[in-house]
Amino acid sequence: MNAAPAPAVELSDVSRVYSPGSADEVRALRGVSLRIDGGEFVSVEGPSGCGKTTLLNLLGLLDAPTSGELLWDGRPVGARSDRERARLRLERVGFIFQRFYLLPTMTARENVELPMRALGVPRAERLRRASDLLSEVGLSGRERSFPHQLSGGEEQRVAIARALANRPGLLLADEPTGELDSGNTRGILDLLTRVRAGRGATLLLVTHNPTVSARASRHLAMEDGRIVADRRGA
Amino acid sequence: MTPTGWGRGPRHARFQRFLAVAAIGAAVALPVVLISVGGGVSDHELHALENAGYQIVVSASGLHGITGAHDLTNRILGVPGVSFASPVLSIAIDAFNTSDSVSPILAEGVIPSQFTATLGPTETGLFPDPLPLGDPNDSTHFANGSYRGTPTYDVVVSAPYADQYQISVGQSIVLAPDDNLSAGVRFNVTGTFGPPFSFLQPTAAYAVLLPLSDLQVLTGYGNGSGTIVPDAADSIEVAVAGSVGGNPAALDRVAAAIQALVPSYSVSTLSQEAQQLESASAVLTGFYLALSSVGIVVGVIFLTLVLLRRVEAERRSIGIRRALGISGRSIAAGIVGDGAVLAGAGALSGVVGGYVLVTVLANHASSTVEEAARLAVFAPATLAEIVAGIVVLSLAASAVATRSALRIQVAEALR
Repeated sequence: MNAAPAPAVELSDVSRVYSPGSADEVRALRGVSLRIDGGEFVSVEGPSGCGKTTLLNLLGLLDAPTSGELLWDGRPVGARSDRERARLRLERVGFIFQRFYLLPTMTARENVELPMRALGVPRAERLRRASDLLSEVGLSGRERSFPHQLSGGEEQRVAIARALANRPGLLLADEPTGELDSGNTRGILDLLTRVRAGRGATLLLVTHNPTVSARASRHLAMEDGRIVADRRGA
Repeated sequence: MTPTGWGRGPRHARFQRFLAVAAIGAAVALPVVLISVGGGVSDHELHALENAGYQIVVSASGLHGITGAHDLTNRILGVPGVSFASPVLSIAIDAFNTSDSVSPILAEGVIPSQFTATLGPTETGLFPDPLPLGDPNDSTHFANGSYRGTPTYDVVVSAPYADQYQISVGQSIVLAPDDNLSAGVRFNVTGTFGPPFSFLQPTAAYAVLLPLSDLQVLTGYGNGSGTIVPDAADSIEVAVAGSVGGNPAALDRVAAAIQALVPSYSVSTLSQEAQQLESASAVLTGFYLALSSVGIVVGVIFLTLVLLRRVEAERRSIGIRRALGISGRSIAAGIVGDGAVLAGAGALSGVVGGYVLVTVLANHASSTVEEAARLAVFAPATLAEIVAGIVVLSLAASAVATRSALRIQVAEALR
């Protein structure tokens, strides 16, 4: 299986409102327009509650805009059915979460295999690729370890291997080092930088940490549901 | 484990799954026991009918409802194709044995030669042949309906009764319509009959056979003033010639001819009796299933709750799977598969549990229950239908849990 091409993703005047019309209404995104070309490394910064995760969820098709349009390679995808969006996520998006979100009842290898199983990759191919990926993230020999037997840094490495399993073109990382110490943070950033460059994938990384955002080639700053700065350069 | 990881869980979840299996198992064990035992008893009775020595039964409504039994027997014997006709009067009376202690006993009044001729192959070895009851045709005492002839005062007693009270042939016992010894009549014991007691056999543990006319007079069912039913019997069992017995149409013609003789009585062939028994058995099976459905519904509700609880407990895991792009259909398949496995395991454990329970009952219960349990028939097709039915019902439980799982918002589940 070849790597999925990195899609150019575009938001056009996108808003996302939770519980509209109610007393609990939250306007998480307000008319955001943005284009990210394939292969870019973009960091998103901003205070808590400014809409960073909502932006990530929309780009990764975990959520749908209340208004506006989401385009992948110029084609609207935001309003597609749940099933179609799930298929796109499976084939083209790799998620990395702050809390790792490994399945606790599965071993490291089974966690990495999971997206490939869902895609119907043959068992032999799955096993080989899972081993290669775990080796690539520095976890050779830990294939049979369960998440609770791994350190935080190791868990995040497994999560990165899982995100890479179906060779996605778009990597979305939500505070991937938020729960790691500085040593592990550096290691994870090195790993993400390496795998992104090696695969030519787009990497969108949400962070509070200036050290982390410094690795990106483009920097978005958000406030109150809007992008208030879009700066290029390391 | 399913391909998407649904199906494993921590210890408390495993315990819930165990409880769901146990609940369904208990619910399934009930119909397994009821249907296997009920079906076995029904089969036994059908087998008894198939092996009876008679083919037609004449009966009447009410207690000892056939009147003029001797005369009617002779008229039935005159119907072409009829070989034997055996009137039977069954009445619970009291017996005073040699030490004058009293015990209730089932008395059957018969015409000896006719009775012996209508025994089936499984019964013939149980009775002396000919029956040592004096007048084989019971005509001397009856004497054209006058009861003026000499009673035989012969009686044949069941082996359990004879064993219990140390009664042997040649001794005498007093039979009375109730426990009043002064109203009793002394009879000579001329023989014994029967195997050990079985409630499903046609005889009771304590029973006596005596000439029909003797029992009628003893119990007030002969002719004379104060008799409610003169010359009474409960039924007349009719055996036909071999050429008629093997020809259903000819058998029906004989039954119709007898019916013409006794339009107010019921005349049925054994095949009709068998059909009625099968119908009654089917009704009972339906009743058993209806009764069992209560337990099964409770089991399925429990399964639904366990699956729902599981969905709630795995809310985040489901969210992770959805975030990774695993389809709702795949997650639903995991839940449905899990429900089917739990239901299937529960149903199989219920079948095994029911089998074990019947086996235990067949060896350690009261005599009546033991006898019934020993007749149990475990029909593989029926058991397979029960298991399949439970698995199908589990789909309903899974549907509820699946609906809940698919309504989980991924972004919210991952917060």
